[in-house]
Amino acid sequence: MPIQILQGTLDLMILRTLATMGPQHAYGIANRLQQVSDDALNLNQGTIYPALVRIEQRGWTRASWGKTENGREAKYYTITRAGLRALNEETERWRQMSGVVEKLLAEEP
Amino acid sequence: MVHLRKIVAKLRNLFGNKRAEEDLAREVASHLTLLVDDFERRGMSPEEARLAAQRAYGGVEQAKQAHRDERSLLWIEQTMQDLRYGLRTLSKSPGFTLTAALTLALGIGACTAIFSLVNAVLIRSLPYGDPSRLVYLYTPNPQFKLPVEMFGPAYADFYDLKRDSHSFQKMTAFGQSVFSLAAQGASERVSAARVDGDFFRTFQSAPELGREISPGDNQLGHEKVAVISHALWQSMFGSAADVLHRSLLLDGKNYQIVGVMPQGFEYPHSTDLAYGEPQYQTTQVWIPLALTPHELADRDNTSGNAVARLRPGVSIAEAQAEMAAIMTRLDKLHDPQMRGWGASVKNFVDSTVGHVRSLLWLLLCAVSIVLWIACGNAANLLLARAASRMRELGVRVALGAGRSRITRQLLTEALLIGVAAGAIGIGLAFAFLRLLPLLDPGNIPRLREASLDTRVLLFTVAVSLLTSVLTGILPALAVSRINLTDFLAATGSRSVAGAHTRLQSGLIVVESALVVVLLASAGLFLRSYINVESVNTGFSQSTVTLNIGLDPRYTHPQAVAFFRNLFARLQALPGVETVGAVNDLPLSNSEDLRMFAVDGYPNQISQLAEGRWVTPNYFRAMSIPLIAGRLFTADEKPESQSIIINQSFARKYFAGRNPIGGRVSRQDDHTRWSIVVGVIGDVRHNSLEEAAEPQIYHPDMEFGGGYIAVRSSLPAKPLAATIRTILHSLDPNLAAGNIQTMGDLESEASAPRRFQTSLLTVFAAIALFLALVGLYGLMAYSASRRTREVGIRMALGAQRSDVLMLVLKRAALLLALGLVTGLVASWFATRAIQAFLFGVGRHDPITILSVCALLAVSGLIAAIIPACRAASIDPMQALRTE
Repeated sequence: MPIQILQGTLDLMILRTLATMGPQHAYGIANRLQQVSDDALNLNQGTIYPALVRIEQRGWTRASWGKTENGREAKYYTITRAGLRALNEETERWRQMSGVVEKLLAEEP
Repeated sequence: MVHLRKIVAKLRNLFGNKRAEEDLAREVASHLTLLVDDFERRGMSPEEARLAAQRAYGGVEQAKQAHRDERSLLWIEQTMQDLRYGLRTLSKSPGFTLTAALTLALGIGACTAIFSLVNAVLIRSLPYGDPSRLVYLYTPNPQFKLPVEMFGPAYADFYDLKRDSHSFQKMTAFGQSVFSLAAQGASERVSAARVDGDFFRTFQSAPELGREISPGDNQLGHEKVAVISHALWQSMFGSAADVLHRSLLLDGKNYQIVGVMPQGFEYPHSTDLAYGEPQYQTTQVWIPLALTPHELADRDNTSGNAVARLRPGVSIAEAQAEMAAIMTRLDKLHDPQMRGWGASVKNFVDSTVGHVRSLLWLLLCAVSIVLWIACGNAANLLLARAASRMRELGVRVALGAGRSRITRQLLTEALLIGVAAGAIGIGLAFAFLRLLPLLDPGNIPRLREASLDTRVLLFTVAVSLLTSVLTGILPALAVSRINLTDFLAATGSRSVAGAHTRLQSGLIVVESALVVVLLASAGLFLRSYINVESVNTGFSQSTVTLNIGLDPRYTHPQAVAFFRNLFARLQALPGVETVGAVNDLPLSNSEDLRMFAVDGYPNQISQLAEGRWVTPNYFRAMSIPLIAGRLFTADEKPESQSIIINQSFARKYFAGRNPIGGRVSRQDDHTRWSIVVGVIGDVRHNSLEEAAEPQIYHPDMEFGGGYIAVRSSLPAKPLAATIRTILHSLDPNLAAGNIQTMGDLESEASAPRRFQTSLLTVFAAIALFLALVGLYGLMAYSASRRTREVGIRMALGAQRSDVLMLVLKRAALLLALGLVTGLVASWFATRAIQAFLFGVGRHDPITILSVCALLAVSGLIAAIIPACRAASIDPMQALRTE
């Protein structure tokens, strides 16, 4: 069953993708998310655009046009220093959050 | 928020944001291409791959819209953030905010005020149908060397032109008269227009009540009808609905009221006609011109004015060409001695406002200079503050705030200040408009209609935004150029502060240069005004004058008897020295020009002199000095043909001869000679600023109406009251015109100059004040930035006086640079005000020296306070700062 994405987590996933894989285009990011989730995260690829705008306008990524290996043009997103810092904070927050949720769920009989 | 977000998103889309849209489309296209490539690599056919890619991608339009929404949402968030942050930082330093806002408010207020005047006079359209197609018609005759505007077409010429020309849709002739108006038991003097049947149709102005004056009303026997103004309807008839059933008396004759014009139509105004009836600002009554058959055929007399409406598509030049052709033909019908009548068609709007256009533009220039200085000051304040906030801003940059974000933040702050300044500025302009009627120079049409309408308010908003950007952009640029490594390397903000101070000093130099230009102009205006005020008018200022016109109830002998009686009563008043009378008082804008010939002088056809009829006591009543010969005596015989001339006449036409006993005749009649019996001093009749023309005075032994001049030792006000009482006892129905002193008339004559001089002087003073505040601010700021340096110097043995000189020298350098630049600029800029000057050259050394002295002294005073403060630093404490 495809899973619903929690509000705000998409930003974190994109930042993480960019931090580990280096500069990526929207398709690359979407592909990566699909792979990692073993296709559980069956999102329409167009839905990552708002998140891309948001993080770019916050200064967390920088975008520039470039060529793919096959010579196609694509818009590449690169994570910035501010983005890395945000990623750390967001990761920390996510860990705390999911830890709390985990604990609560574990208490279930 | 969702709603707002959608609305803003739509708005933003309206405004295009084209680049982002193109970029998005390109990105989506590339994304799809990559998807298709991938599916093909997995072995799908191109067609299958395309469909699969679309499935995987989802709705393209939805994706784009989501992108757009997100874009605008962020924009709102950031703007709100900037505004909140801006308000917080500004309210944290109220002194700075207030200074900056008030500085800008002065500039914006002055600009708004003058623009509202420009708007009322030059931009707002006249209350007539399409005024751009209205024209004045003149038939100038170059023989006379008189202004074109003095030549309204002769009656017969006008009607021939009307019949034969095709350039005009409608044409109207009209004249002006002053009447004693009596109605509803009250009486007053009013200015009326005698108009032909096409007057209202030419202007395309219709009455709000009743009907206009029609061609039928101009038939003799039907002419006793009147149209009245809205103001008269209100004041005299209490806006009565049945006004059309009432009548009024003009000089004792009964006129039926047939119409009421709407508010705003009071044509002709005193400012409309260069040679019109100047005593009354507006026209309150219109009656038919009703020419007799004899007048209709008259080529020597004129009603004075002709206005026409051009046919659509006909230009002024075409109309003038056609009119000139007709006039060439009509000229042959004129008196052979006087021929040379031509044609001139002049734009109505230009004639109405042309003479004040340059003044208003000049004032607008002056206030925009004030605004520039205000902007410079506010920019300097912002720069100074940006420098002291360098640490904060530097940290924000280091933490990853984009430079554009910082720039935007500073611009937002400038915008907040600009908006506040705009609001205060509107208040200032409102106050100015309340004061404006007190300053009314009398020659600016519709001055009193100036108001803060939508156009003015839009102008103010635009000016406020512009000033915000102008003041915000320099600091924003300066800050966004912060070099992060330099900033982090230096523990403070010294490196950037240096560059800032240079920029600030540059602004101060520019400001003082602009101030010099304004001061020089104001100085020249002041000098001109003083020159005008000190003109020797040739008459006494304390003489009390009044205008009396008797209505047709009086026959000529009755009128003469009335005035003899009045003179005797006035003469008998204790304190009254002399009572004289004249047909046209000096500076009353009435003129009687005549052609004449002088015995023993090479006469030319165009020589003109001003003629006046005076009672024997007139010269004494006006304190006009006798230079040679004698004055008129009480028993002057009409057949003796005595005249008195002024000095200009004697100098020009009796050069090297004794004028007494000289002979002067009318140009067209060399048989009847008048004998010069006396020469009196020159009197400025037309205006204070024109030298006296040759003048001829005739004795008026049977004075029957005009101006009375009373010389007395009594104060003017009680004397005026006594005169009114006497008049009332002689004839209760008589309305006396303004009772005023010659000094009042002189003051009215110099009112336009007073108006322009006082405005320009006030603007120059504001500019000087702002520039001094700017200088003071910069000196105080740089002194405080250099506290440490000063401390070290003093610790190393520098004297307090050395420190004082250090600061003062810098101020002096800036002032000197500004002064030199400003003087060079004024050398050229004053060309624009040349036409406004009187009796002073535009490079007047006294003015230039005064400006230099004023700026130098006030500038050094502004600098000495921060200098003293810097010098009184305790070195130990100074070294501990920062």
